[in-house]
Amino acid sequence: MSQSLRPYLQCVRSSLTAALSLSNFASQASERHNVPEIEAASSPEVILNPLTVSRNENERVYIEPSINSVRISINIKQADEIEHILVHKFTRFLTQRAESFYIMRRKPVKGYDISFLVTNFHTEEMLKHKLVDFIIQFMEEVDKEISEMKLFLNARARFVAESFLTPFD
Amino acid sequence: MANINWRTINIDALDPDSPANFDLSSLTPAVAPVSTADVQNNAQQIRQLLRGGDNEGALQGALENPPYGADDKGKEVHLAAVIEILQSIRQSDMSPILSRLYGAPGGTEALDVLMKYIYKGMAQASPSSDKRNITPQVTGFSQVHARGGGEGGGQAMSVLLSWHEKLVEIAGPGSIVRVMTDRRTV
Repeated sequence: MSQSLRPYLQCVRSSLTAALSLSNFASQASERHNVPEIEAASSPEVILNPLTVSRNENERVYIEPSINSVRISINIKQADEIEHILVHKFTRFLTQRAESFYIMRRKPVKGYDISFLVTNFHTEEMLKHKLVDFIIQFMEEVDKEISEMKLFLNARARFVAESFLTPFD
Repeated sequence: MANINWRTINIDALDPDSPANFDLSSLTPAVAPVSTADVQNNAQQIRQLLRGGDNEGALQGALENPPYGADDKGKEVHLAAVIEILQSIRQSDMSPILSRLYGAPGGTEALDVLMKYIYKGMAQASPSSDKRNITPQVTGFSQVHARGGGEGGGQAMSVLLSWHEKLVEIAGPGSIVRVMTDRRTV
């Protein structure tokens, strides 16, 4: 792992561990409803100060905590246009299957590539440190995945171009 | 009146008793308003200490009375001063300075304030969220990572990240929770 990635992930880990202290909180606006307060934004007093962890201006994690839910938005590293397209395709693939990831949000928060929403029901039925591990692991893997895809793409494009141009040789 | 779509009106916002209109100022502890000029004077004094080589004294002075009551501009001035101090302290000196601050009277408060400034410093470098900083390539191919444009602010961030790591070791995750819950923002 590169030298500057480790403190970044460590910072995200400790921030998430602190933010994931959730409790059940029923909606104050309508009876017998229980909604994630960070999404509903119906009671300003239960929404806490958001935290930003950034490695540089392209790689950021935005954590919005509230009493019963935490929204985590990630900006994935995109060095050029190919990576931009790959990230878009990749996050689209994941968000279309969001229900199999439990905590994934179908639509990212504006300005970010992918968002997660963890509610108190998730922390009740899953282990908190495993949830944090999942997000950290996701962040590690997604960078690797994107650069691997980019290498494959370039190799394939070169091969295709070569075989296309052989008849004209 | 007829052309207003009344289904989209948020009636909770119109009801003074609804939770959506909770008075947040009742949660905020009273803070004395500070003028921008005072903050600037204070920052000047801190920089003087810094130039004199007294990094630790400068940090302590900066964290002692943060300008909670100042406006956005005053807060920015103080943030810039704190970031300057943090960047001038060497990596090997971080932990000893933090332990001494922690041991001093009012140490936990000072470290909480430092934590607030670290998060604020990291949030500050992200105003360009809607515009992607991607250098277009004529061919569309770039085997090697295009370094330079995309890595802006990486150096300053890594300083803040290592401060954050050291600070969590000493003050614990509770200080992060206090950053989230404290309504007095820096």
